[in-house]
Amino acid sequence: MWWRSASFIMDRQQNEAALKGESSPNPNPNPKISAYYETRAAHHGVVTSDWLAQAQAAIGPEPDPEPQPRPDPEKPFSVIDEFNNWRKQPHLAEAVAAIRALAAVIRWSEATTMMQLEMELKKASDSLKSWDATSISLTAGCDLFLRYVTRTSALEYEDFNSAKSRLIERADKFGEISYKARNVIAMLSQDFIFDGCTILVHGFSRVVLQVLKLAAHNNKLFRVFCTEGRPDRTGLRLANELAKLDVPVKLLIDSAVAYTMDEVDMVFVGADGVVESGGIINMMGTYQIALVAHSMNKPVYVAAESYKFARLYPLDQKDLAPAIRPIDFGVPIPSKVEVERSARDYTPPQYLTLLFTDLGVLTPSVVSDELIQLYL
Amino acid sequence: MPDVQTLVNEFLNQLKKRKIEGSQATAKQTAELLRSVISQQRVPHTNQTTALINAVRAVGEQLIAANPVELAVGNIVRRVLHIIREEDLSLATAAMAGLGVSAASDDEDDVERGENSVLSAAVVAAAARSTLRPPSLQTLLEDTSESAAAPHTSSSGGESDGRSRSVEKGSKSRKLKHDVLEAVNELIQDISTCYEQIAEQAVEHIHHNEVILTLGSSNTVLEFLYAAKEKQRSFKVFVAEGAPRYQGHLLAKELAARGLQTTIITDSAVFAMISRVNMVIVGAHAVMANGGVIAPVGLNMVALAAQRHAVPFVVLAGSHKLCPLYPHNPEVLLNELRSPSELLDFGEFSDCMDSASGTGSLHVVNPTFDYVPPKLVSLFITDTGGHNPSYVYRLIADYYSADDLVVKRRPTTGS
Repeated sequence: MWWRSASFIMDRQQNEAALKGESSPNPNPNPKISAYYETRAAHHGVVTSDWLAQAQAAIGPEPDPEPQPRPDPEKPFSVIDEFNNWRKQPHLAEAVAAIRALAAVIRWSEATTMMQLEMELKKASDSLKSWDATSISLTAGCDLFLRYVTRTSALEYEDFNSAKSRLIERADKFGEISYKARNVIAMLSQDFIFDGCTILVHGFSRVVLQVLKLAAHNNKLFRVFCTEGRPDRTGLRLANELAKLDVPVKLLIDSAVAYTMDEVDMVFVGADGVVESGGIINMMGTYQIALVAHSMNKPVYVAAESYKFARLYPLDQKDLAPAIRPIDFGVPIPSKVEVERSARDYTPPQYLTLLFTDLGVLTPSVVSDELIQLYL
Repeated sequence: MPDVQTLVNEFLNQLKKRKIEGSQATAKQTAELLRSVISQQRVPHTNQTTALINAVRAVGEQLIAANPVELAVGNIVRRVLHIIREEDLSLATAAMAGLGVSAASDDEDDVERGENSVLSAAVVAAAARSTLRPPSLQTLLEDTSESAAAPHTSSSGGESDGRSRSVEKGSKSRKLKHDVLEAVNELIQDISTCYEQIAEQAVEHIHHNEVILTLGSSNTVLEFLYAAKEKQRSFKVFVAEGAPRYQGHLLAKELAARGLQTTIITDSAVFAMISRVNMVIVGAHAVMANGGVIAPVGLNMVALAAQRHAVPFVVLAGSHKLCPLYPHNPEVLLNELRSPSELLDFGEFSDCMDSASGTGSLHVVNPTFDYVPPKLVSLFITDTGGHNPSYVYRLIADYYSADDLVVKRRPTTGS
């Protein structure tokens, strides 16, 4: 288990020591359901009346959100509130929200040296991470931004104030970077979608939708099999989205994947996080789809932005803090019956063919290379 | 430049008629041709890099179209383009460093200089590095696009506007061309010595009393095996004959002449013999970006047999065979279909092959290449050492720049 391995124990001790002084500022209001899942449900959740507008916002050029008003001077600034503000916006990826929240820390910081600022940032990112330990892209986003603050050579030659404004400016641009990343990924994957192919997708992913959208726009002839994606039924939303583009779509229940796999030419999935082994953490069911595809020799392609690369090395499925979600079976379940409520699983790298990222088309083993270059 | 054009046409003709065989010969000739293209190209005072790149691209496009199956041509064109970019960049950074120092002394173009010297040397260096390197997590947050563009235009375009420095500028343009030509010469040198560098590593891989299996003929394999023999290793070689061209016969003859214990087997006997083999060593036609191999026909079968018996499958490939494309690209999926006369004699079967009258029902397909997926390859040995298939992407990132993957000019820029 990851919390038993030496490096994580040390990390945890540090975090706990850092947090001991203050009583946890904003405890997760509903500890039973992971905050990560709440965001996800809000963003691509159950098919609701306003998902149309949300989808439009997710893929159209996003308007720059209004600058946040300065919080009340008497109320102490809380990075978690700030993060919560950002993550409510449907088109914003969680990593972007985290980086925006950290930028707000810099903006309202009273530090006068770089070192002070770094320490403040470290504290803020630690409290963010411990507030929701289940979100991988939140952790990855925090790590990436902290690394940028401590590493960038461009900051060395400037005075403190201009360095500060440069950091804020870069953080504000990050939303744009993430939007651009989706387009780059869509471009890269076009070579792999050939006329007459059948693509299996699982759940809803903004990147995958962008890929398919561009392919449809380029007049490629292909059809898509969408899994239902129980219990959120996110697959329905993707199917709706694709039907609007006049792409032939077929909906499958999640258990029909193996049944239809012989018709499928490639599997396309998104990812919540890409871990150091090159495997991915994604919506529940991805692992079994990858296993079926592997045993039938079908390629499994992953579309993921590079800011989702996280410094985790899960050894098995239970190696991650599970993200708990509510599951409605439609009938009352006796209290003696246990329910598996984890929202996602880990797919090991040997079942993945290629990763499409904004860094290029990568084999799974490249991921660790990139992470080592950045963090070692 | 009529003489360059005739050279190009001659080479195009040879490529189209498949007069040049083997990727090494093709790669070398391509590099030599591009060298003369560059040396004959007259460079304008502004944007010399763009001029050179466009010239190389224009020729490269024709060469690739002449024989799209010979991936080495495209590889060399991309390598040369990468060389031009790299040389331009090193000159630009050198110029920027000089500019920062001399900014105060020269009073002309002050506005421009003022802007330039604001950019600290570190920023410029970082930007320069990031333009050639493929994008990485490290540079994700750094603003590469804006600052990288700024020093670039000012070094090749803006700077040379100053009329007073025409002499200096002339020397600079000659310097760029000179540097590029030198680097291309190095590339040609590398291509012609890649056998030796691969063969040098033979002793590390071939041990006493081992049995090696190979299929068809490859000069690289021949030199590799001979180098191990030279170092007093005694081992046996099984040569599968490599139907339908039977080049394995030639290899076996050559090996036997050089004193190696050689056994010749038919292609269909590979599986029967593989349990006695310690290692399979083969050459390749091209190595793709995902670590897959385009190889002479029959090798996929050998690779599968080797996997069945857990025999290491080692591929020898010079760095000119590294291709930055993925096997999904339509241009890579092409296979060369050779003449049926290699399979059948014309006289024997001519009555049932009469396609003109439409009565013949016998078809002959004679493909040249196989695709071996990366998971069947144990090791690549290139002139820079041994590499895992999953590491090939890193080699490719070293040799090619991402802008050159598509050599064909965009319809908006080209005519």
